[in-house]
Amino acid sequence: MNGVKPQQSKAQQSALDRALVIGARDGDPACHSELGRRSAQYCYRFALQLTADPELAKDVAQESVARFFDHIDRFDSNQPIERWLYQIVRNRVRDLARRDRARSKSGATSESLDALIETRQLPTSDASTNPAVALEQADFQRHLWNAVASLTEDQREIFVLRDFHGLSYREIAETLSIPTGTVMSRLHTARMRLRTLLRPPEDEGETPIHPNRKES
Amino acid sequence: MSPELPHFDEQLISGYIDGELTQQDQQRVRLHLESCAQCRQISRDLQNLTAAAMATTFPTPFDDQWDERPRTSLSRWLSYAGFGLLAIWTLSLVAFLVHQAVTDATSVRFEALLGLAPALAIVLIVASTAVDRLQTHQSDPYKKVQK
Repeated sequence: MNGVKPQQSKAQQSALDRALVIGARDGDPACHSELGRRSAQYCYRFALQLTADPELAKDVAQESVARFFDHIDRFDSNQPIERWLYQIVRNRVRDLARRDRARSKSGATSESLDALIETRQLPTSDASTNPAVALEQADFQRHLWNAVASLTEDQREIFVLRDFHGLSYREIAETLSIPTGTVMSRLHTARMRLRTLLRPPEDEGETPIHPNRKES
Repeated sequence: MSPELPHFDEQLISGYIDGELTQQDQQRVRLHLESCAQCRQISRDLQNLTAAAMATTFPTPFDDQWDERPRTSLSRWLSYAGFGLLAIWTLSLVAFLVHQAVTDATSVRFEALLGLAPALAIVLIVASTAVDRLQTHQSDPYKKVQK
């Protein structure tokens, strides 16, 4: 598995994606291949976060990329490709969930995401100097993604798009075809649900949910 | 939420930490957080959630683990042309057979076309696959590595 997170800024990535779309349309095989690779990664990550099933995520990613390339001539290359890909993936996952009622009814997934992730140090932590802190942070991230799998579809989509993929409220609203106010409302509900799930059962809400974060 | 500020909309906290509020609302939330310990705690917890989620890396499959590569435009159009021609040929054959059954007349030129069309259709479909194979070969980063 390839676990390297892109080091380029969002703007650089979007510019590269746009150039690749134009190159692929012009029939450049290198651009076509690289665009296929990048779009498969975008789709796979999002599908994995929605389904928590690596094999299903791979199938969804491949179908979504094929669909993307089928309609690439219609794509506005001034728009970021991720949003279009996220829409395709989201619709595909929803179609599958509709077909598999038992799966969607529970709102949960067959596996938890915690076994599928790699963790990085949080930027404001002192984990680099303290292995125990680093372990505790990694454990928190695993619990977090395990809890994400228990959110409703609507909440999970919004949480993932905002808090992993970094889309703005307007971008999420356009991707999911919902009002911006609904984005904030659903996102807050999702975050509060996660906060409740991640809080120790005996805790009454006085201590921070992350043990390594000190109060400022 | 602070009991002395009953009209504060708690979901504004998410908008505040994401920088998505108007300047007026941003100021309103900041003032509220200064006076409400409970909402301040919520704000800190949500920021921790966001930071932890953003710091996660999800491994993706290596390039050679994908079952298939996306098709090029040329490959797709060749395939469409091939299958389209096959469909036209099938319909023409049916129409010809019906016509022959009704009139018992034959046309040598039309029969020749009926024979040529499926051959051309197969060539186009094979060419479509060949374009895909060539594309895969040209973009294979490991093709120079000896096996």
